[in-house]
Amino acid sequence: MSASLGATAGIAPLTWPQRLANFRIIPRIETYPAVVTFAQTLVGKLALLALFSVGLRLATEDWLPLSVSLLAITFFPLRRRLLVTAATLVFTFVLPWSKYAHPVYTSALVVFIISIGAVLFWLSIELPKSVIGRHPVFVLLAGYSFLIVFAAYFPNTTPVYLTVWDFTATFGVYLWFIAYSLLDASAPNRDSFALQLGTYRPFWGLTVVPVPKGANYWRRIEAKNADQLAVAQLKGLKLLAWSLLISVFLKYFTALVHGHLAIPPLALALSRSVHHDAYPWYVCWASLFAEFFEEILSISVWGHRFIACCRMAGFHALRNTYRPLSSRTIAEFWNRYYFYFKELMVDVFFYPVFLNFFKTRKKLRLALATFAAAGFGNAFYHFMHDPKYIAELGLWRAIASYHVYLFYCAVLATAITISQMRRRHPAPAGFLRARVVPAFCVITFYCVLRIFDYTDRAYPIQEHFRFLAHLFNLSF
Amino acid sequence: MDSRAEIRKCLQQLLLQKGDRQPFSDSDSLLLSGRLASVDAIEIVVFLEEKFGVDFAEVGFDQALIDSVEAIDSLARAVRK
Repeated sequence: MSASLGATAGIAPLTWPQRLANFRIIPRIETYPAVVTFAQTLVGKLALLALFSVGLRLATEDWLPLSVSLLAITFFPLRRRLLVTAATLVFTFVLPWSKYAHPVYTSALVVFIISIGAVLFWLSIELPKSVIGRHPVFVLLAGYSFLIVFAAYFPNTTPVYLTVWDFTATFGVYLWFIAYSLLDASAPNRDSFALQLGTYRPFWGLTVVPVPKGANYWRRIEAKNADQLAVAQLKGLKLLAWSLLISVFLKYFTALVHGHLAIPPLALALSRSVHHDAYPWYVCWASLFAEFFEEILSISVWGHRFIACCRMAGFHALRNTYRPLSSRTIAEFWNRYYFYFKELMVDVFFYPVFLNFFKTRKKLRLALATFAAAGFGNAFYHFMHDPKYIAELGLWRAIASYHVYLFYCAVLATAITISQMRRRHPAPAGFLRARVVPAFCVITFYCVLRIFDYTDRAYPIQEHFRFLAHLFNLSF
Repeated sequence: MDSRAEIRKCLQQLLLQKGDRQPFSDSDSLLLSGRLASVDAIEIVVFLEEKFGVDFAEVGFDQALIDSVEAIDSLARAVRK
């Protein structure tokens, strides 16, 4: 009795912030040994898959083919990567067949682009000393830039004009997946192209940003045994539950903000400002913050769902969005908000610059690499992402009208550079100073920067500045 | 201080700056597990360049090379040879 009392007295009582931090809406079932053991049994696997399918049913119309794919992968873990490739091919060619206006034509384009990816992959392995062997991603991105220029100046009176643009747009969709393949080509234990193919828009989510990264990363996060698979799948189930909870919250949040409170969407607030009929400044602030939170919730919903499926397939992938509102610095927020986009920028733009230039000048090196990723890479990605503007406006007008987003990238890169260069200290004591104040500053910065986060070329930059000034009750 | 202890100290400091006080073993994944981010990877790269003369432009960079105390230590040893 006294011993137990003594032991209890030795344990420091948890403070309320600690208790709050330890609280989980969804319990950490992957840490319960009995649950992990059960998830490895036949009944456990079926129960897990059934629960996951129910969750998918509520989230997406592709729930059935997704569930069937995950079922096959769960029961044949030794063939996981090949099955992912097979499922990805089914999701690329078979399932959307009836949705395509010209299925044979569209499929032929995709096959052609994948073949180009295969040839580049093969060339970079076979010719390691050549330019493509040493700088495969640079060759790919330079080649795609030339393709854009070629398409922009291709005469629009010729019958193949539309085909050229269809090819360019479809290539753009696969560009970053091929880039990750090429990054893997120099690895000694690289995957064959058949396995690389599974990473080209994997079946769990048809994004343009590779989620989660490429084959090199997949090899490292793949479950190596039944225990790891069970843990990955339990975490996947939890993440899907999170995605569903957030989607319900988003629905009610949107209804409350735009319905009950009548706060206008940011696009409307900006449009009214452009037409000199602006909402009151405080309504614009409310609109800005509401849009910011809606975007975080929205990206969490689809990001969590994709990663949940990925985990269910046996990969311990990190979340795409992880507690962005707890970020204490601008750089940390960029890391937490859209993790796989940031990773793409870092892998393709940041590291090559950081590891090769200005090695003796630490600050310049960091600044240059950050501008290469958050500035140039970010602008390049979004410019190439929307080739329709180039087709409609022509190359130079498309670049000129892109100035709002270029400004956004420049400010973001500058802020991230400063954020990284500031000496990092351990978090100060006190919940308010350690958490609330830094988080509020970071959120406000990104909210204000959101005014310039536009790639649709609708208004010139002075209109965005007018809206910014209006937030402070100034007008010009 | 031996190289492994120096590496451990460097990683400990990075984790501490993030408010992460959890213990870690020499083989524990820190980058791929998400405990450290790419911002921290840069610090590790600079540490390896300055302390052990590692040139990633020659070695070829891969996050797995600097993912744990063990991985970093074996990289540093390989470069010394």
